[in-house]
Amino acid sequence: MPGSCSQLIAALVEVLGERGVLHRPEELMLYEYDGSSLDQALPQIVTVPATTDEVAAVVRITVAHGRPVVARGAGTGLSGGSVAESGGVVISLARMNTIIAIDPHNRTAVVQAGAVNLTLSEQAADYGLHFAPDPSSQRSCTIGGNAATNAGGPYCLKYGVMTNHVLAATVVLSDGSIAHLGSLAPDEPGYDLLGVMVGNEGTLGIITEVTVRLLPISEDVQTFLAIYDDLDQASASVSAIIAAGIIPTAMEMLAGRGIAAVEESVHAGYPADARAVLLIEIDGLREELKTWARLIVEICRRMGAREVQVANDPAQRARLWAGRKGALAACARIAPRYHIQDGVVPRSRLPEALRFTETVADRYDLTIVNIFHAGDGNLHPLLLFDLRTPGILERAVAASEEILRMCVDVGGTISGEHGIGIEKRAYLHWMFTADDLAAFRQLRTVFDPTGLLNPTKLIPLHESYAKTSFAQSVGQTTMLDRLM
Amino acid sequence: MSNYYIEGIAPQAVHTPRNADELAAMLQQATADGASVVPWGGGTRQHLGNAPTRYNLALRTAHLNRTIEYHPEDLVITVEAGVRLDDLQDRLAQNGQWLPWAPPSASAASIGGLLASGASGPLRLGYGIPRDWVLALRVALGDGRIVKSGARVVKNVAGYDSHKLHIGALGTLGVILEATFKTLPLPECKHSVLTAYSKPLNILQALEQLRAAPLNPVSLVALNRTTAERLPSLQGFMHDQPDHLIIVARFAGVSAAVNRQIREAVIRGIDAGASCVDLDEHNEALFWRDIANFSAPLDDGALMLRLGAPSSQLLDQSRLLEPIMRNYGWPVARMVYAGVGLSFVRWYLPADPDPDEATAALAEVRSAMAAIKGYAVVEDAPAALRRTLDIWGPPPSAASLMRSLKAQWDPAGILNPGRYVV
Ligand SMILES: Cc1cc2nc3c(=O)[nH]c(=O)nc-3n(C[C@H](O)[C@H](O)[C@H](O)COP(=O)(O)OP(=O)(O)OC[C@H]3O[C@@H](n4cnc5c(N)ncnc54)[C@H](O)[C@@H]3O)c2cc1C
Repeated sequence: MPGSCSQLIAALVEVLGERGVLHRPEELMLYEYDGSSLDQALPQIVTVPATTDEVAAVVRITVAHGRPVVARGAGTGLSGGSVAESGGVVISLARMNTIIAIDPHNRTAVVQAGAVNLTLSEQAADYGLHFAPDPSSQRSCTIGGNAATNAGGPYCLKYGVMTNHVLAATVVLSDGSIAHLGSLAPDEPGYDLLGVMVGNEGTLGIITEVTVRLLPISEDVQTFLAIYDDLDQASASVSAIIAAGIIPTAMEMLAGRGIAAVEESVHAGYPADARAVLLIEIDGLREELKTWARLIVEICRRMGAREVQVANDPAQRARLWAGRKGALAACARIAPRYHIQDGVVPRSRLPEALRFTETVADRYDLTIVNIFHAGDGNLHPLLLFDLRTPGILERAVAASEEILRMCVDVGGTISGEHGIGIEKRAYLHWMFTADDLAAFRQLRTVFDPTGLLNPTKLIPLHESYAKTSFAQSVGQTTMLDRLM
Repeated sequence: MSNYYIEGIAPQAVHTPRNADELAAMLQQATADGASVVPWGGGTRQHLGNAPTRYNLALRTAHLNRTIEYHPEDLVITVEAGVRLDDLQDRLAQNGQWLPWAPPSASAASIGGLLASGASGPLRLGYGIPRDWVLALRVALGDGRIVKSGARVVKNVAGYDSHKLHIGALGTLGVILEATFKTLPLPECKHSVLTAYSKPLNILQALEQLRAAPLNPVSLVALNRTTAERLPSLQGFMHDQPDHLIIVARFAGVSAAVNRQIREAVIRGIDAGASCVDLDEHNEALFWRDIANFSAPLDDGALMLRLGAPSSQLLDQSRLLEPIMRNYGWPVARMVYAGVGLSFVRWYLPADPDPDEATAALAEVRSAMAAIKGYAVVEDAPAALRRTLDIWGPPPSAASLMRSLKAQWDPAGILNPGRYVV
């Protein structure tokens, strides 16, 4: 193995130069994790190509050496997607971070895959436009990673997720060829291959360039914060707002015993004894806002909110959002580790889903905070723990498994936006039959006959991987040791 | 039986399975027998694509007409593929909801057929395309396997979004059995304004004016005089002067916001030298239905083209196409879906069209469209021309991937053989 590895390194250096090929252990360590931190594995080599042609060359060379290829954006993924579980070569898109063009006439932007999400929205603002998908990780995650995971964010309640905003992509396939999928010309004849490339988690191709839709910035924005003593009242407010015919830009909820802790570090004005905090944002024309605002305040009060705050200017809005945006970091202060889940339930099942989550927390003796996209029914139970507690990891995993199972049982899904990766691949069969999975696998093979593109993720080609929700190269106990 | 002819070709049999399982079993059998199958929904869009190279069986989805699940409070509905769009809209309207989708022939077309043919309509500017509203599909693949992808919730990333592959695939990968849609609350009001320009003008500028902030039309179409004359709903509004261009913008939402947009649109129209007419609720509903149906087959002898190009290329598109069309001298009805880069052209060829001339004209249009990174597809043509015209144009750049996908899901190649672009 080492022999062939050094040949591979030499071949890669020939294309990318020394600077573009990392292989010393201390260099590789940075690429051992993603945002989920439960899965870890060292790649043998990390490449940092600067052009689509270089990506194509890396793929060609690596595949010729029979090694896996793992695409990596910013590594903020929460399902182990960019962890090189079966070794091989990581392709980091970090150097391809240029926003190539913003076209105000077509309201589109062409960006390299490694461009950071927030950078695009900031640059688009000069044209009165914005890029709607806004994952909470938007300061660091990449547009390519967003496309590869079909990422969402608070604003996707009204504006949709990545798949609704990607118009075209340049993609490197496993044979090293470069494909152009999608087009600015709508409804071009041919199968919608772009539609499956979005959300492919690096298993169908390496996305190197994306054309996305930009939206005009709305005339007016208003934000509300409603505070509840009762979880059901908060959930009922979410349903009632939708039933009133309003689709807010965002409806985010903080629920559970962690609210006090979040308040302690963020000072967003959440009462320590509140059971749920609902953040609602609307945008549109001022007449629309006027109509909706009145209804929203009225509904929240009627459902039992103890307090409804309204923010009209950017500073006030930022203050209301501070709690939501800082919540994850705040939780990290409560406990050294967290495990975040991403199941979706039909909106009308939110009350029982939240109650169920609380009983699971009790049964497993875990602290669970739910910071989530309530409008979409997209739960984000955050399981907080300290790895020094014996058996805690097993408990956390068992608890999240129960929660995900419940999501499927009430008609939902195991993942709304974070992806399947390593972490949820063993649960896919809860949602899909053997025939469904076989059809997915056929699709995968059509794009990647070599089976070397991120082989163990999403729909693993080998059954053994499909059975486990942890990186296999690291045993569970050793991983525990290493995390400590 | 004659109802199931395609370009004069009759099937050997017409089957109407009672349910999805039966339909899938028929596909499995057909795969074993190598019998070719044309999936048949409402039959409103069988004019698309080439004639099948083989045609043994018309497979109807008419009995797949149940609503599987509807949870109004979740804004999600699952229906079988044979349900007609208008019936679905009625059902949703009872709960104050709709699918913002206005394709041609909505009263007769089935959900499955509309999805398979990638049908869209004038609402796509404001609300996107059915691809954006489909959350999940259940499909019988060519070999009879029943598979699904997606989930019945508004957000899901589990598995590949394979359902997108069937949308617009013209039933060549599988037969759609069930579709789950995200629905929307009906807007409080819908209102349209018609602006008629009697002088030549920069069409792109006129359109941009009608969608620059704060205007946010859900539909925006531009029609030439020939088109306007052929729309029954416009006859009351057409006066004698030779209008150069007619633009209609539709606004939807909260009444007060819609009213401000209408007022602003009228001011902008008048400033640009147009005469403006406010279409009331009744007239505007008729008008938009006519617009949607403009791209349905009308048996009027026209060569009907769908043209796609980046929307900013509209001016160049006009500059390139107008001389070609003037040169041939045949009347042209043009309709542009502004802001989305799509237009439909009905080109009225002489009664006994010369196939060579038609082929040459199409080739000229295609090369003009290619010059602006666009394409032209023949959606309908007089019977005499259908066999000689190149319906789709050049194959897509990723055709080889598409063919290997087809080989996986329809291994015997029984579904609509020869009809699609790959
Ligand atoms: C604090 C925090 C908050 C978050 N909030 C949200 C949220 O609100 N919504 C949400 O959807 N997600 C959220 N995430 C998850 C994560 O940020 C998203 O999944 C994001 O899209 C990943 O982008 P990335 O560039 O970091 O990709 P990575 O983590 O590097 O990769 C993710 C997956 O995509 C593949 N991939 C990456 N780039 C490419 C490419 N160019 N071509 C092909 N495959 C590629 C990888 O192989 C991997 O499978 C959050 C994460 C954190 C840590």
